[in-house]
Order: sequence, then structure tokens, then C-alpha cells
Amino acid sequence: MLRLSLDLLANGLIYGCFYALMAVGLAMIFGVLKIVNFAHGEFFMIGAYTYVLVALNLSVSPWLALPCAALAGAALGWIVERLLMRPLYAGYASWGFMKDEYAVVVTFGLSLLLVNLVDKAVGPYSYKGPSLIEASRFALGPVMLTGQKAIATVVAVLIMIALALFLKKSVWGKQIQAVAQNRLGASLAGIDATRTTSLIFAVSGMLAALSGALLAPLINPSPDVGSFPAIKSYVIVVLGGMGSVWGAMIAALIVGVSEAFFSVYGSYDYRDAFGLAILVLVLLLRPQGLLGQKGRDV
Amino acid sequence: MKAVPALWRDRLAFDARAAALLCAGLAALPLVVTGPYAQGIVLVSMYFAILSLAWNALAGYTGQFSLAPAAFAMLGGYTTALLDFYWHVPLALSIPAAIVSTALLGLVLGKLVLNLSGPYLSLTTLAFAEIARVVVGNSHEFTRGDQGMHVATLTENRLAYYYIFLAALVLVLGVLYVMLRGRLGRFMTAVRDDAIGAESRGIDVVRVKMIVFCTSCGICGLAGSLYGTFSQLVSPELGLLQQTGLVLAMVVIGGMGSLTGSVVGALLVYLGSEWLRGLGNVQVIVFALLVILFARWVPGGLWGALVARMGRTRP
Amino acid sequence: MKIRQLATGLACMGATLTLLPAFAADPILIGASITQSPPGSVVQGTQVKDGMEILKDMVNAKGGVLGREIKVVYEDNQGIPEKGRAATEKLISKDKVVALAGGHQSSVCLAEIEVAHRYKVPYVNTNCWSDDVRKRGYPEVFNTSPYNTLVSSSMATTLATMGVKRVVAFAENTDYGIGQAKLTGELLKQKAPNIEYKYETLDRASKDFTAAILPLRANPPDVIVMSMLPPAAYIVMNQVYEQGLAPSAKTILYDGGGLADYPDFWQNVKEGGKYLLSFALYHPAMPQTQLAKDVAAEYKKRTGNDVNRLVLQAADSLHLVVEGIRQAKSAEPEKVATAMRTMKFDSLRGVSNFSTQAGYGYQQWLDIPFVNYELTAEKQPVGQTVLIQAPGQKFDPAKIVRPK
Repeated sequence: MLRLSLDLLANGLIYGCFYALMAVGLAMIFGVLKIVNFAHGEFFMIGAYTYVLVALNLSVSPWLALPCAALAGAALGWIVERLLMRPLYAGYASWGFMKDEYAVVVTFGLSLLLVNLVDKAVGPYSYKGPSLIEASRFALGPVMLTGQKAIATVVAVLIMIALALFLKKSVWGKQIQAVAQNRLGASLAGIDATRTTSLIFAVSGMLAALSGALLAPLINPSPDVGSFPAIKSYVIVVLGGMGSVWGAMIAALIVGVSEAFFSVYGSYDYRDAFGLAILVLVLLLRPQGLLGQKGRDV
Repeated sequence: MKAVPALWRDRLAFDARAAALLCAGLAALPLVVTGPYAQGIVLVSMYFAILSLAWNALAGYTGQFSLAPAAFAMLGGYTTALLDFYWHVPLALSIPAAIVSTALLGLVLGKLVLNLSGPYLSLTTLAFAEIARVVVGNSHEFTRGDQGMHVATLTENRLAYYYIFLAALVLVLGVLYVMLRGRLGRFMTAVRDDAIGAESRGIDVVRVKMIVFCTSCGICGLAGSLYGTFSQLVSPELGLLQQTGLVLAMVVIGGMGSLTGSVVGALLVYLGSEWLRGLGNVQVIVFALLVILFARWVPGGLWGALVARMGRTRP
Repeated sequence: MKIRQLATGLACMGATLTLLPAFAADPILIGASITQSPPGSVVQGTQVKDGMEILKDMVNAKGGVLGREIKVVYEDNQGIPEKGRAATEKLISKDKVVALAGGHQSSVCLAEIEVAHRYKVPYVNTNCWSDDVRKRGYPEVFNTSPYNTLVSSSMATTLATMGVKRVVAFAENTDYGIGQAKLTGELLKQKAPNIEYKYETLDRASKDFTAAILPLRANPPDVIVMSMLPPAAYIVMNQVYEQGLAPSAKTILYDGGGLADYPDFWQNVKEGGKYLLSFALYHPAMPQTQLAKDVAAEYKKRTGNDVNRLVLQAADSLHLVVEGIRQAKSAEPEKVATAMRTMKFDSLRGVSNFSTQAGYGYQQWLDIPFVNYELTAEKQPVGQTVLIQAPGQKFDPAKIVRPK
């Protein structure tokens, strides 16, 4: 019993770190634009595929393929913001009052587009991504790990620490925080809000792509692989509080661990519904989540 | 040419007349399209037209961007299937039962999202839809899970089914027209444009939302149930998010906030997708692209663009 | 002058027309509803298509059948029953195919045979193992595919012979997986009632199965049986291996889905595939017909991979349809079906005929040959595996190799 619980805890925390990487980007976008990016899962998928294809076809070391995946995610995020997200704040009259709904429709469409484009371009087969290090399984105390899982977790944690430092200390990071708090005020202070938003999308895309690349050896990506981390991300971002980066990180760990326990001690068949039920409950009972701001219109 | 009318009631009447014309065209279509396969294609696009109308009523007219229409269609289909499988309930009872059950569930959903808006509302409805699909898909003992359930059928005659679906489409159009023509219609758009303002003017926003949720979800249930009897099979695949995406695409391309637009969008997208199927499975790519383009640059959809052009031909 | 030019032109055209290839008549169309995109098993769909294409080319090279060339029309059903139903409808009513073949996922088959039955078009079951497909008793359905009763009873006998105490099965949530797992349990209870057996249903679209695997670590079973298809099957194998559960000195991993000879098997499971025990329907040591050898050679030439049982099954299904047309001397669906019902023919795997017993044996080729073998090295080709049960022999547990 104890051994099983330790196993579940360890696995839950490991997966939680990957989810955190994924969800933080979503939280950032929400913090600034107050929209949910329904194509977020596809950034994950693009990252996973870039990693796998670069490493396999160009025969480079997987360690080089990781930054390639990050770059692909960042580029995609930038392009999406530039082409599609401007109407949300640049004063275009296209959808008038319904800007939230515009975001829903456009990102939904984008999600379908990306999944099917990749399916057409690369084919629907799944690929097993190459591991970062070739160490196979080893025991860490009572828990069994593989080299990939261990290294990937360490990398994920390092990235998140780097992100936290970036947001807190660097100039760009402070600009991001300013724009998130008050867009008009920030631009009055001389910050280019539009460029900052592009930066946020790029960072968000990069993080999701990295999450995909790190998980690629574990889950054998196929074009529709983006849907499961996307749904987890929504749950995590809502639980952590929309817009709160720390909230997303903590919530990710909580979700990872509680899902692991629920699926063994609760019901295995309905474990997917469990996370979604959390989302609904949070929105009903405490819409600002753990660390979010209590907004006027939720 | 008569100037395009600006009053709500006149615009709606214009819209309704166009929709009636379209239905008349559909009624006459089997004279030209005689093969059962082709008739089946138009029939399925009518199924999507009904779903599009239901979603449009909820999202286009009332601003509640639910991501659950496909899930409700699935639930309607399964209600009929389960009643048939376990208790051999005749279709005359199980199809209305599907409408009732989904309408009630729609009420529950409406209550859940009462105080939510924008992305929160979409996320909650998405969670609801996915929970429904996961529960139905994983309850192997009860629903045979992924493999689907067999459903009885109304008739083996393809042409008869075509007219059944057409009748349902006309019925739904009629119901929505009556709803929209009266005060409820304007309350709905008031809730969409400015819910707080509407409340301050004395409109019972809660009641409006409840009525629309109930109706919209009930219509989705009807569509799903009819479709189940047509294909003699229901499976969790009916409730996939991709199906909702298709409905969204149809309404956005056809034109949100107009009855004819939804039907036109559904017909175009589904028939177009069948036609494109021959060109190597690119249909989803094309339509996803169209959705993005339309949402970004042609917000009124095809119908909106058409009406706007007609407006420019004032004498 | 103009009239003479016109006449010359017409004469030239007439001459060209006579030079048209021998297949001036319409090709005979055969329909195939297969999986070409997720969530179904794309690996299977591709192999089925490859097998059918090879046989089609062979037949056309020899002049086709009834003087007409054959053409296979493929539709993608994505492994979803509803899509399979729609695809079958299209193939029958729009393309007017003579017969259908290539079905390889049981849940989809069950939906498709309804359509075939309604239109009375023969349907050759290439690889749907679920007994339910047979039990419906539709005279249009011809089963050359392995069937769950065959596989499950063989697996139950094997498990009983191995003398183990606890068995856990992972089954995918489809008619094939659940059917096989349930049946194996029932048959095992009859043969060896003191063996503890339970099965766990896994979602084939899921990417992470650790929640089902971790609880087994505390008390590992003696055998883990897999009734799953790729891509989920590969993920399960990897995760079971990662957790140190199987294959191990204590626990054997036993596959009842025929994975080991899929072309992408090794690239997806790497070291997790070593020591896998597999129920298999093809091994080079089995007696092979000349046609099978030709198909194998052609498959190797086209794809660089060794042939496997699924490719042979697919080629076989098309071969059956062609034979049916030939013997019926007609391309009309009902006549072809009648011919197929009574003929005895040389399939790629042996001489076969269709039994008429009701239930799981209805219009099924009952005596499909099989073996059991074990993979003992990474990237091992099937020909070099260790035969634990040679063709026609008994299962010999002493031959099983265990890791240290």
C-alpha cells in the first residue's frame, strides 16, 4: 500500500511537472488577453513532432532537437498572435462586443486546422520519440524510473525556474506583468503593449512545445495527441486561477497527483471525467481558483 | 429593389421567408437527386442544419457560446437507444423522451453557467460535453462503450427518411421563428449584447437564458435521436468535440444571428466536405481555414455579406 | 478537300481506338473499408491495403478476372463504427462494388455487416476476431479471419499448460479486446479452475496507463496477457517494461493480438519487446503455398519489411473474392456470394472452406494454423524467434526463455 502510494505520488509529481510547463503558457495568455486559447494543445503537438522529426530525420542529438521544438513553438505563437489575435484589442470592429467568443471560434478553428494539417503532412502513424539519454530503467528508492523520465523532469523544473526568474527580473518580464495588470496604463507608461502580447504568445507557444518534446518519448505522439494535455491545462488553469503563473504551477502538481490517486483508488474508467469535474466545481464554487484575482465579470 | 429593412421584425421576416424558400427547394430536390446515396448526404446535412440552428439560437442570438451541441445530440441518440435496448420502448415514445431528457439536461447546464460568461462559460460547457462523452464511452457494461448501440428505425425507405428530416427542419425553423418574433427574441439579443444593461431594464435574464438553453438542447436531442434511428447505430463518436467544431464552422461560415445563414452554412459545409472527400481528405483543413478566415475578416458570414450587398443596392 | 480531311481524321481515331489495351471493359470494383487515421489502428489499415494491392496487381498482371481488371476502392473508417457504416453505404450504393473486403476492426465490422446484409453484398471478414461477427449468422459474411474462440482457447490451453497461478489481462475497450479477454477467462476456468484470472479494460485512445500498471507492482502476476492493438499496445508494453513489471523473471508478457510482426513494432517498443511471448498466425516454419511465397517476396520488394500474417490475410481476402467471381462466372454480388459459400479453395495459408455450424463457427474457416513463439533479442526477425509451439505440436513451457 505504501509502496503503491509512493509510486503514485512520484508519477503524479513527474507528470505534474510536464503539465505545469504546458499550463503556465495558457495562464499567461489568459492573464493578458482574458481569453482561452483552444489551440494550445496543438502547440504541444507541434513541439512533440518537431522534436521527433528533427531528431530522427536530421540525425541530430535529441538535445539539439529540444531547442528546435522550442523555436517552432515560439514561431507559431508569434504568427498566430500577429495574424489572428489583433482584433481582440487593437480596436477592430469585426466582432464588436463578442470578442471572447471570437477567440473561442478562431482558436477552435485553428486547433482543427493544425491537427489535420499535420495529419496530412506527416501521416497519422505514431512515432516513439528518441530519449534524451539512453539509460533505461533504474530504481530510485522504491520507485522505478527511466532515464528519460528523470532527465525530462529535471529539465522541466529548470525551465520553470528560468521562467519565474525571467518574469520577475528581466525587463521584458516586467513589461509582461505590467501589460497583464493594466493594458492602458502600461502603454501610457511607454510599453509597447502589442509587441509584448506577441512576446507572451511566443513564450506560451515555446513552453507548450517544450512540454510536448519532453513527453514525446513517453507517449508516442500522433496528430491528435494535443487534446489530452489541452483539457488538463484548462483544468489546471482554472484551478490555479486564470492568469496566475504560480497558481498554474501549483495546481498542475495537485492535478497530477490527485488524478493518479483517483484513478487507482477511485474509478479507473472515469478518471478523465474526474479532472473535468474539478473544473466545473471550481468554476461554480470559487471561480478565482487558488491564486487568481477575483474579477468583476467571471 | 426594395431597400433592405432595418427593423428587427422585418429583418426576421425576410430571413424567415428566405429560409422557407430554401426548405421548398429541399423538398423539390429529390426530383432531381434520385440516388439513395446522394439523398442520404443531403439528409445528414439537414441533421447538421438542425444542430446549427439550435446552436445559433443559443450562441448567435443569446451570446451563450456553449461547446456542447454535439454532446447533447449524442445524449438524445443514446436516450432513444437505451430505452429501445433495455425496455423495448417504441420509437413514438422514445424520440420524445430524448427531447425531454436533453431539454432537462440543458436546464441543468444553463443553471451551471448562469453567472459565467466568455471563456469561463465555454470551458464549463466543454467540460460538461467531455464528461458526458467519457461517461457514455466508458460505461461498457451499460452502453457497450466505444462500440455503440443498435437502434430501431422508423422506416427502411431512404426517401421517406429524407422527408422526415425535412419536416423536423421545418418544425425547428418554425419554433425558432415564433420564439424570435416576439419579445423573447429581442430579450435574447439584449442578453447577448449587454446582459447587465438588460437586467437593469427589467429583463429577466435568468429566465431568458433558461428558456433558450432548454430549447436549444432539446432540439439537439431531437436531431441526435432522429439521426440514431436513421443510421441504426449510436456511438460516442457523435459527441466528439470535432463534431461541435463542425457545427461552429457551419454557423460562422453561414452567418451567426440568422436562421437562413445556419441552414446555408450547414448545407454548404457538409455537401462541400463530401465533394472534397474525393480530393484526398482535405475537407477538414479547408473548412477550418474558412472558419478562421470568416471569423477574422467576414464576421457576418455568407448570409451577412449577402444581406449587406443587397443593402447597397438602394435606389 | 475538307470532307476528305474529316474522313482521314475519323479513320485515324478509329484505328487508335482498336489499339486500346485489352481491358476495354469497365474494371470490377471491390470495396475496402479500412482505418487510415486515428483513433483506429492505422498500422493495421496500412498493412491490409498493402496486402490487397499486391494481390490486385498479381491478378491484373495475369489478365484480371472474366477479362476485366480489378480495382480496389478504399474508404477510411478511422476505426469508428459509425464511419464504417457510412463508408460501406457509399461503397455499395455509390461505387457499386461487387464485394467488400479488408475489415480489420471488430466494432467497425459489426456495424458494416448490417449494411452488407441489407444490400445483400458479400462481405469478407479479413481480420475481425470478435465471435459476435459470426454469431449474427448473416449469409453475406465470409470469415477468413482468426476468431476469438480459436485464439482464446489456444491461449487458455497455453496458460493451463504453463502451470501458473495468477494471470492479469489488459484488454482494449473494443469488441475484439473485451471479447477475447472475457472468453479467455471463461475457457481458462473450465481447463484450470484454480488459476486466478482477471482483466482490466483500457481506453485505446489513452496515452498513459500507469494507473492500471502501478497497482500490480506490489504483487506481480505470473502472466500479463495483452489483448490490445497499436498504438495503445506499444505504450502499454513500454510502460509495463519501465515499471520493471514484465517481461521479468517472475512475470511473462503474453500477446494475443499478433503485434510482434508489425513493421513498426521494434521502433516503438525497443528493449521492451525482448522476451515477449506471442500467439501468432504466421511463422516462416509453417508450410506455405507458392502464392504466399510470391506475396511475401513482393511485399519485401515494395516495403523492405518481412511479410506478416495480416498482409497475407488481406491478400487472401481479395483472392477469395476473385475466386468467387471466377467460379460464379459473374460479377453480380448475389451470385458471387452463392459461389463462395460452397467452394473449397487454395487460400494463401492452406486449403480452406467455410463451415456451416451456427454460432462462432458460422461461415468461418475453422482450422486456421497457428504457433506460439518468443522474441529473444531486440529487432529480431520472426524467422529467428524461438518456437515454443511449433506448427501442429503441443505447447512446450520448458522452452520459454526468461530474463535474469
